Amino acid sequence: MTDADEKSEVWQGTLALMILKTLEALGPLHGYGIARRIEQTSGDRLSLNYGTLYPALLKLEQEGSVVSEWGVSENNRRARFYRLTRTGRRELRREAGEWERTTAILMRFLRPEAGRT
Amino acid sequence: MRSLRAFLARLRGSFPGGKRARELTEELESHIALDVDEKVRSGMDETEARRQAILRLGGLDATAERWRDRRGFPLLQELRQDLRGAARAIARHPGFAALTVAMLAVGIGGATAIFTIVHGVLIARLPFRDADRLVVLWEENADRPGRRNTVGPANFIRWTERATSFSKMTALYDTRVSLAGRARPEQLVAQYVTAGFFATLGVAPMIGRGFAPDEGPDGHDAVAVLSWGVWQRLFGGDPAIVGKPIQVNGRPVEVIGVAPRDFNFYLKSGSLVGKAPDLWMPMAFDPDTTVDPRGRYVSAFARLKDGVSIAEAGRELGAIAARLAVEWPRLDAGWTARVFPIRDEVSGDLRPALLVLSGAVGFVLVIVCVNVANLLLARGLARRQEIAIRTALGAGRFRVVRQLLTETLLLALLGGAAGWGIARAAVVVLLAKSPVDPTVLSRVRLSLPVLLFSVVAVVVTAVVSGIVPAIESVRGAVGEALQESTRSPTGGERARRIRQGLVVAEVALAAVLLVGAGLLLRSFGRLSRIDPGFDSEGLFTGRVILHGAAYKDDEKVLAFFRDVTARARAIPGVRAAGMVSFLPFAGLGAATDFTVVGEPQPPAGRAPVTDVRVCDNGFFQAMRIPLVQGRLFDEREMRTRSNVVIVSEAFARKAFPRGGALGRRVTIEMAHVAEEKPAPTEVIGIVGDVKVETLTAATRPMAYWPHPQLPYSGMTFVLRSDDPSVLAGPLRAAVAESDKDQPLGDARPMEDWIGVSLTGARFSAMLLATFAAIALLLAAAGIYGVMSYVVGQRRSEIGIRMALGAPAESIRRMMVAGGARLVLLGLAIGMPLALALSSVLSSLLFETSGRDPATLAGVIATLGVSAVAASYGPAWRASRIEPAESLRNSF
Repeated sequence: MTDADEKSEVWQGTLALMILKTLEALGPLHGYGIARRIEQTSGDRLSLNYGTLYPALLKLEQEGSVVSEWGVSENNRRARFYRLTRTGRRELRREAGEWERTTAILMRFLRPEAGRT
Repeated sequence: MRSLRAFLARLRGSFPGGKRARELTEELESHIALDVDEKVRSGMDETEARRQAILRLGGLDATAERWRDRRGFPLLQELRQDLRGAARAIARHPGFAALTVAMLAVGIGGATAIFTIVHGVLIARLPFRDADRLVVLWEENADRPGRRNTVGPANFIRWTERATSFSKMTALYDTRVSLAGRARPEQLVAQYVTAGFFATLGVAPMIGRGFAPDEGPDGHDAVAVLSWGVWQRLFGGDPAIVGKPIQVNGRPVEVIGVAPRDFNFYLKSGSLVGKAPDLWMPMAFDPDTTVDPRGRYVSAFARLKDGVSIAEAGRELGAIAARLAVEWPRLDAGWTARVFPIRDEVSGDLRPALLVLSGAVGFVLVIVCVNVANLLLARGLARRQEIAIRTALGAGRFRVVRQLLTETLLLALLGGAAGWGIARAAVVVLLAKSPVDPTVLSRVRLSLPVLLFSVVAVVVTAVVSGIVPAIESVRGAVGEALQESTRSPTGGERARRIRQGLVVAEVALAAVLLVGAGLLLRSFGRLSRIDPGFDSEGLFTGRVILHGAAYKDDEKVLAFFRDVTARARAIPGVRAAGMVSFLPFAGLGAATDFTVVGEPQPPAGRAPVTDVRVCDNGFFQAMRIPLVQGRLFDEREMRTRSNVVIVSEAFARKAFPRGGALGRRVTIEMAHVAEEKPAPTEVIGIVGDVKVETLTAATRPMAYWPHPQLPYSGMTFVLRSDDPSVLAGPLRAAVAESDKDQPLGDARPMEDWIGVSLTGARFSAMLLATFAAIALLLAAAGIYGVMSYVVGQRRSEIGIRMALGAPAESIRRMMVAGGARLVLLGLAIGMPLALALSSVLSSLLFETSGRDPATLAGVIATLGVSAVAASYGPAWRASRIEPAESLRNSF
């Protein structure tokens, strides 16, 4: 079994964070674009059920982290574009920081020798 | 903050509409298109690309579904769907819906109305500060246990000196006063109260002030506090009235305040007037009250000290009264004192009736539930196929049950809304008909607790009546339901048994209500047939109380009443006219001890008691009180004091057990202010007994003096004519002709007064009869429904019977017997239940046994006839079934 076959399921909390980060990096983007970008960034190691993306986007919208409006895609398709708001940026910084702290702590547990150096 | 924002967004999203939701399909389509574009670019076939794109999305519908779940709250959305479905289902059968809503409206409305009164009278806080610390104090005579007697002022003063249980004590008495200086003189009810009145109750006047401690004694008593009602009615709600003088009893009195709107204080047991007051004035006891104590006429109430219970206060006051009986045998031998919670004054008379009515209205509500359940069952059966299809399409059973319950809930809500309207109207009627005015001390209104009660009633009703039909409708295999026709004889068997069981329960409950109503009606009939000792039909009454300097002289008072009576006698149509100091049934009157001259004196406090009235001959004639022996007053006795008395038969029996009353002399302990001691009076006649207080009270001795013996300045005129309803104007004119400043009060037919004394019995009897009638109607409707259903169900069987030659008559008999069987079963359960419960009614019954055989027979007959009547329609239809047609339809 290769590393690439071992695809992880994305769970909701991290999906929201990935969406926010993608929008920060690429600017306004439609749902399909977000999904592709997440897959690409993970080196296709994530199996994203595209269908879960839309409720997640809706949740972020309801919380005021993103806003959406109709636009035209690079290949001239009408699509709905999502854009990060100021609340969304703040939220992204907060969540990213939390993740970093959490993973750092977990790393110390999992690789104690690395923590001592 | 963020989650609140999301919550609000989801709440909004739970309701339909919104561009965003409509655009989702478009957004998902665009997603697929983008995916397909990319795949086609990398060389995939377009159809395959589309297939894979949809697969990766996880299906269009499923995604949209998940998105919608996030958009709103799924439970709320489903509820909305259920409600919409329910509204559609109801709209499809408007007749069914109207019938159900009407029944629910009657049940919930009735329950709400009764609860409104129960809440106001028995539960809600009384509008005084710490009302549960307020108590009323009454004296009680050993010969009349349980009867609340007004308090002797001398005793009240002693209580205030000795009792330690109370932080504040107040005494009051009420009387009528005249208010002059206006276009028409007004008779008002005044409460004369000791200075602590408002403070004891913990109520401050709305504007102005209460009485100061030094206001009360003569010379400092020309102040008054107006009730909110009089302030509005007579002074137009003018706040500048405070500080201005008004003319009360012919002298100027300064208005110092106006009581709050809700404030309505009146102690029925001790009221001479029998009405809530229009104004309050201060009173103080004469300094010599305790030196020469006479009579009992004040009501007393008090506030308990912190930590003192009513029982403790009662024990202390009882001990004080016991000591007073020794110290003061002339006044207090044989008397004790009692302490009661103030709520007793509101609920005392109403409590048993209210409890019975609450039970009755509860029964009606249960019958309504049963009937609605019955209707729903019938409809559930008709919808079996619809429900089976839904289940087959994947709707969970729980979901279907919930959908059906939502339908019932919607019906119940509609019923509740209509019921609320019914309750509003019913409360107005109930208050108007109530034997005691429950608004006097408390507040009776449709309030928040009442609304909560209604909502709970709606929900409980919906669940109780909907749950069995809902569960029934999803029972059984889907396939079976789809295959069978709704008319198939097997499918409805179980439902039929349930429905028959419900009807039996209904009949049983209706039987209980009918027995209760029957007993109360019978008791009411007995009550209204009691002979009061006079002929109340055709009598008109009106009262005048003379005030002011012009009537300081007794001769003026006597002349005034003599003249008005003479003028009244001349009114066209008047057959007889007279006057009396206290009219029977119109409140309390004077009563005192008496002794017979020449007989041994009874020990102190053990002397017999007689009611005392002053009157003229016209009184006996107008009232048609028969002269049994001796004669009436003569001309001279009506002009000057002659020391003669006419006594009642009960008086004669009590004072002269061996007869020979005429010519004997009796000393009645009541004297004119000018006299030192009451003079003995000679018995000149004996007249028939009359009831004076209530119809049910025992007959008491009565003594009638001619007016000059005790020149009361307040007298009630009694006029007899064929049409008493037209006499108010002429009588008022007759009074005005003598003195245009004197108001005529309580102008009304005698029947009204008697009616008041019957209201209590009529109130409970009529209400219970109404509930029983509703129950009977509902039970009959239930029988009709079930029998119609049975006929429909047995169509083919009946068809076969008729094809085989059964006569229509026997078919009809068979169906009617089916209905009768249900009623018999219901009676078999209901009658024992009714007998067991009838003891609850005993306190409301007058000379009627809880097992009154005529009532029980009547109930059985009524239910039997109703059963036959209700089954006759379906039976007749059954007998008209065309055999050929019914057989063709069923195969």
